[in-house]
Amino acid sequence: MLVELKVNGEPKSADVPPETTLLKMLREYLNLTGAKLGCDVGDCGTCTVIVNGVSVNSCLMLAARANGHEVTTIEGLANSNELHPLQEKFEEHGALQCGFCGPGMLISAKNLLDKNPDPTVFEVRDALSGNLCRCTGYTKIIEAVIDAGRVMNTEQANS
Amino acid sequence: MATRNKDIQQKTEELITVEESKAPAQQPLAIPTDNPVAYPLELPQGEARLRTPAVGQRARRPDGRLHGLGQTQYIDDITFPHMLHAKILRSKYPHARIVSIDTSEAEKMPGVMATLTGAEIPENSFGPTYQDQPVLAYPIARHCGDGVAAVAATSEQLATEALEKIKVEYEPLPAVFDPLEALEKDSPKVHGGDTNIYTSKVIKKGDVEKALKESEHVFHRQFRTQMVEHVPLEPHASIASWDGNGRVTLWTSLGRITLGREDLSRTLKMPQSKIRLIGTVVGGNFGGKNEITTEPVLALLSKKSRRPVKLVFTRGDEFISSTIRHPFVMDYTTGVNNDGKILARKIRLVLDGGSYCSWTGTTIGKGSILAPGPYDIENVLVEAFAVYTNKTTTGAMRGFGAPQVCFAYESQMDDIAHKLGLDPLEIRLRNGFSENSLSPTSQTLQSVALKESLAQAAERFGWKENQA
Amino acid sequence: MRTLDYIAPESAAAAVALLAEHGEKACPLAGGTDLVVDLKHSPGNIHVLVDVSGLEEFRGIEETDEGLRIGSMVTYAEIMENSICLEKVPEVVAASHTVGAVQTRNLGTIGGNLVTCVPSADSAPALMVLDAEVTVTGADGERRMPIEEFFVGPRKTILEPHELLVDILIPKKNLGKPSSFYKFGLRKGQALALVNVAAALELKSGKIHEPRIALGAVAPTPIRILEAEALLAGKKPSIKNIEEAARIAVTESKPIDDFRASASYRRQLIQTLTQRVLSRSLEIATAS
Repeated sequence: MLVELKVNGEPKSADVPPETTLLKMLREYLNLTGAKLGCDVGDCGTCTVIVNGVSVNSCLMLAARANGHEVTTIEGLANSNELHPLQEKFEEHGALQCGFCGPGMLISAKNLLDKNPDPTVFEVRDALSGNLCRCTGYTKIIEAVIDAGRVMNTEQANS
Repeated sequence: MATRNKDIQQKTEELITVEESKAPAQQPLAIPTDNPVAYPLELPQGEARLRTPAVGQRARRPDGRLHGLGQTQYIDDITFPHMLHAKILRSKYPHARIVSIDTSEAEKMPGVMATLTGAEIPENSFGPTYQDQPVLAYPIARHCGDGVAAVAATSEQLATEALEKIKVEYEPLPAVFDPLEALEKDSPKVHGGDTNIYTSKVIKKGDVEKALKESEHVFHRQFRTQMVEHVPLEPHASIASWDGNGRVTLWTSLGRITLGREDLSRTLKMPQSKIRLIGTVVGGNFGGKNEITTEPVLALLSKKSRRPVKLVFTRGDEFISSTIRHPFVMDYTTGVNNDGKILARKIRLVLDGGSYCSWTGTTIGKGSILAPGPYDIENVLVEAFAVYTNKTTTGAMRGFGAPQVCFAYESQMDDIAHKLGLDPLEIRLRNGFSENSLSPTSQTLQSVALKESLAQAAERFGWKENQA
Repeated sequence: MRTLDYIAPESAAAAVALLAEHGEKACPLAGGTDLVVDLKHSPGNIHVLVDVSGLEEFRGIEETDEGLRIGSMVTYAEIMENSICLEKVPEVVAASHTVGAVQTRNLGTIGGNLVTCVPSADSAPALMVLDAEVTVTGADGERRMPIEEFFVGPRKTILEPHELLVDILIPKKNLGKPSSFYKFGLRKGQALALVNVAAALELKSGKIHEPRIALGAVAPTPIRILEAEALLAGKKPSIKNIEEAARIAVTESKPIDDFRASASYRRQLIQTLTQRVLSRSLEIATAS
């Protein structure tokens, strides 16, 4: 079936079998391999993308269900001129090691900061509870998210 | 044009005339503003390298930029034209003789391009220490994660369905699951022969029996640890592809690619010069990706189908088929004096060595040497055995035997302290290594900061206050 | 994933018709956080998915004369952000917060939780102690029932294959009723409940009025502990009778041994947690 949606602001479409998950459509039909397959059952969060403003496990969402919706993936965070503050801070703090959890983690963090730009550590932990990381122990990730929030707050205040 | 023959060179240079380029002056490249996957192109700053000395400066991980952009390419992110997907059928029984395998029904399915069984592997054995592990089990399957057949098809779903059509006739054999049971004389033998012990180690220092007799207290306890799976966030993944020169290339999440190439050369019976192994950024290894898994299978499926073949482990595969940490059964007998000084330690380690050897050699070595703990003990006996069981292959995992024995000796220290009415910190300071202490293998240790570290840590988290 | 057909009907009636037409081969798709996992891993007969997640008849949260109506296709995240729910049914919000993680809560629906009907369903105890009622629609029309009647057994509700859960109604008199919910899992997030428990009660002239106690993950379905409720009704609250009520909850439960915990550990949890939610409810009742 034909699925049409907007990915990172661009109209995209593909003819996919109805049982195709959004994750599979992004990775195999649209060549956006940022979102990852880690468990395929919605536990690890490496497949996290934002659909209509909320973060979801794209391995659990059928592509057909995303028809007509807006999707944000990791590929849409930066622009030609600069990184997203989260990407900047993750790099500065050394928040990622193997990097596999990165796209999902950044998307979940973006979803948090878009709604709550000044989160407490508890709120960051809660927001990232659906994203597993096997390498880092999460500390630097949390620090980077809070630091990015400060930057985004300042940018907003200045704009 | 340079050539040894000066005449020819001169003649050629005379023939070549260089004309002035008529191209317009260089224009700066215009970057299209509607590029859907946009990112900044300036290189990440590497300031630390510009400073001398760089030590002590903040450095950025070189992979941070690509990770943050989601551009890091893991194996599953790579695709090739006409690529097929492979799946592996795993043994129904923990121990069985494979009587027959019939892949004909699977082969008839449209979209199934190749099948493979153990009998077709040119040299069906590999392993970092002993080459006791088959690429695909044949004729004996030794655990439920043992692959017995494989298919390559045009989609993952088709490959999964094709597996269901493969008919395997098994003759179940008695199986053994507990490592202590595996030690017994009449236990089922996983690799035949008259014992399941496949490697052992003994470390002897002083006279342990005499010292135990002279000890004022003797403590004995058995400790057990459980299996642990690495759960790297990225599952094992590989792609195999042949070229017209008869050379196979594998892209793989494998960490030790030189070893991997040796294994491929051995199992495929090909010279190493015809094998190219490309390891890329891996999404977590922790020891579990130190040896080949499905690479030879994919190489052969690719050879048969003449197409690139990819396989990515499911999370389920990761648990039953990829290697895990050795469960240990540890018997600790420790002789101490009233003041808590350890005089003797006698240890028996039984490693649940799974169905194949893998990295057990390293694990048993490290585990044995570290088993007595970081304590000055003059009389030590460590006897360690690794036994086969019909369970998932136990292999390398961060620590390599150290975490297991640490659980045992530290638990026992607490037991001893409690029984003798001593402060758990004090008993460790009393026995701990110092500068020039001898290890259990009589190596002189230097740069030993054990007691200082313990004391500092205790002060920082208020040990004394808590004990009061 | 096996081959499936996906249909997104425009109305509840159309959805019911599709389910009736395809029978056992079809099933409704809500958030998919349980169903899609099942479809990937279990062989089975389902070949047609009928997406009901966006149907207007199953959406929305509003306060009516009857009480608070929550559409079955409302997600946990929507409940957590809804001001009426936060004010009037805070423990249903609390229960929603314990489900999975942010991503799960953005997709998962409260109706899906009830229809999947695992014993450890987190929304169930919190709804049961508020005397929630559920509305079901199907080829034979609509019917309403107390939520306890909805659950039949593990993964089994009273729904016929052609029926759908429409909404959940919390009666007006229970809005704002002092209540407490607690879920105990092996982790604070992304965990199934070993035990979840809820209580609700009021104080009238210093005596307990209309107490309710509900437990999940300790029986084939979420259960109310009627005997404990009867013990407390009309009595002055005391540590003694709270402990006794919790003891009854333990004897009325049938927890199992499994790889997550032993039955005996679960019984200890039931004792402690039942006391906790009762105490907390009393605290709220006393303060108000």
